[in-house]
Amino acid sequence: MRSTAIFGGSYISKFATSALTIAEMEARKIRHDSTELWMRSIQPALWLLIFGEVFNTIRGLAPGGIPYIEFIAPGVLAQSVLFISIFYGILIVWERDFGILTKLLSTPSPRSSIVVGKALAAGVRGIFQAIVIFALALIIGVNLRLDPLDVTGVFIVVVLFAMCFASLSMVLASLLKTRDRMMGIGQAITMPLFFASNAIYPVTLMPIWLQYVAVVNPLSYVVDAMRSMLLTGDYAKLPVDIFALLLSTLVMVSIASIALKRLIE
Amino acid sequence: MNAIEVSELSKTYGQEIKAVDNISFTVDEGEVFGLLGPNGAGKTTTIKIITTLIKPSSGLVSVFGLDVLRYPQEVRQCLGYVPQAVSVDGDLSAYENLLIFSKLFYVGKRERDERIKFALDYMDLSQRADDLVKHFSGGMMRRLEIAQALVNRPRVLILDEPSIGLDPGSKKQMWKYIQKLNEEFKVTVLITTHDMMEADELCERIAIMESGKISVIGNPRDLKRSVGGEILTVKLSTNSVPSSLSARPTAVLGSLSIPPELGSIVSQEEDTLKIVTENGERAIPRIMDYFERLGYAVESVSLNRPTLDDVFMKYGKTSLERVGVYGEARTQRRAIVRHSR
Repeated sequence: MRSTAIFGGSYISKFATSALTIAEMEARKIRHDSTELWMRSIQPALWLLIFGEVFNTIRGLAPGGIPYIEFIAPGVLAQSVLFISIFYGILIVWERDFGILTKLLSTPSPRSSIVVGKALAAGVRGIFQAIVIFALALIIGVNLRLDPLDVTGVFIVVVLFAMCFASLSMVLASLLKTRDRMMGIGQAITMPLFFASNAIYPVTLMPIWLQYVAVVNPLSYVVDAMRSMLLTGDYAKLPVDIFALLLSTLVMVSIASIALKRLIE
Repeated sequence: MNAIEVSELSKTYGQEIKAVDNISFTVDEGEVFGLLGPNGAGKTTTIKIITTLIKPSSGLVSVFGLDVLRYPQEVRQCLGYVPQAVSVDGDLSAYENLLIFSKLFYVGKRERDERIKFALDYMDLSQRADDLVKHFSGGMMRRLEIAQALVNRPRVLILDEPSIGLDPGSKKQMWKYIQKLNEEFKVTVLITTHDMMEADELCERIAIMESGKISVIGNPRDLKRSVGGEILTVKLSTNSVPSSLSARPTAVLGSLSIPPELGSIVSQEEDTLKIVTENGERAIPRIMDYFERLGYAVESVSLNRPTLDDVFMKYGKTSLERVGVYGEARTQRRAIVRHSR
């Protein structure tokens, strides 16, 4: 490749440098001002504290005899990450409206590394959110497995999940192009995704047609993976969950890399 | 060597809209080149094609011999781009903005810290290095954008309407920095502007662009000369008509002429003469002297130099001043600055 000859250094290391730099940019912003993320924690907190506590009184709602509040905790965690990442495209539109996106794309960094970086940045926000919800769940006495490997696994799933939906959001941004429309579409798809998943009730309780939707809903695999690591310790389905998540993330990031240039044309 | 070579470039949107229509120009290494024209002339589209942000419909564009379509990353490594809208991140500090973009430009770790410190000093931003950029004024943001060029050291700096929304003081300061960057660091500069003063002040050569086409390329001085010389308007006092002549002024001034080395009279209305001359400033005392020796008292002399607007009127179809986009663009940038989160 000509690039190696001109810049020196390998393409992969440059790609990684760029992607990590974009993620670092996000981390630095959160360090300056994390108010938005704290406020975004209010909603999942209410799901856990009110919805969770109320439905906890119904026995047998969650499978395997586990208390409902334990059942719903990974679902709420996944939901909060979903919300953060599905609205990530708004930030991209915002950056487009200023010159920042144009500026990022005019650096020698490969375009796809910018997209991966942006997706990773959503992951950084997801981790922040996950920590808040983790802490809250522990405070209200939800019994979670705290094996370091499991917790690490959960964070990896959070990052992949955020990357997947932030990329979807970037694809939407490239099609819709305005912040208002992004708000609208975000509102329109988060709730169906949430309800058509196993986040707040087991799939077995759903009507058959909805069960089919749940099977193709990436959120189901995410919640499933988190539950196996945080609650049951049963890893039988974990490889399938991770594979499904990896695949959808890869597909979404690739589409977003192609779509992003539409935003600046 | 040509820093930028654009040859028969066109960009069409859909079937109808020709944003750029078969233009060719070259930017020499080390010069300051300006694309001058009203909004919508195709300047920004041209720049976006050079910076590989959009693809041309036809034609060839190369930067230091590298084709923009074949080697986009290598091309971008040579370029520093300051877009029209604010391109620094308001949620980061000045230092962080320079740091992040230097990493994206793969500036080595060792040079990085040194250059950032130097750039902040050079641009007079050291005091505010750790403040969030959203609290900066428009002028400071532009300075920070130029500072990025000092850190990343591009061979060509491309600025899209660099002084939009700046107050006159900041605008002059901006020009000074661009000139210094060009002279001290040998950076080739390509700017777009619809501000004739700016083009006149900064550019060694300009291309006048309108409706996607380039109508003329040249240096501002030659272009102004091509419009015609400088025009002196001389008003003679009617009270001081030499007594040897008739009392009616029109009759007196009826057949005035001046020696050809002073210029030539192009029009005469009663006591007011319009004289075209090569160099107005030098001609003024000589012309006054000439008339006074003839016995006329000169009441007033005014000098009109052709501006780039006159050049534009000649080669384009519209006057830049009449296009009236200047104020609009200014408000736009202000609004963006104000909304910075």
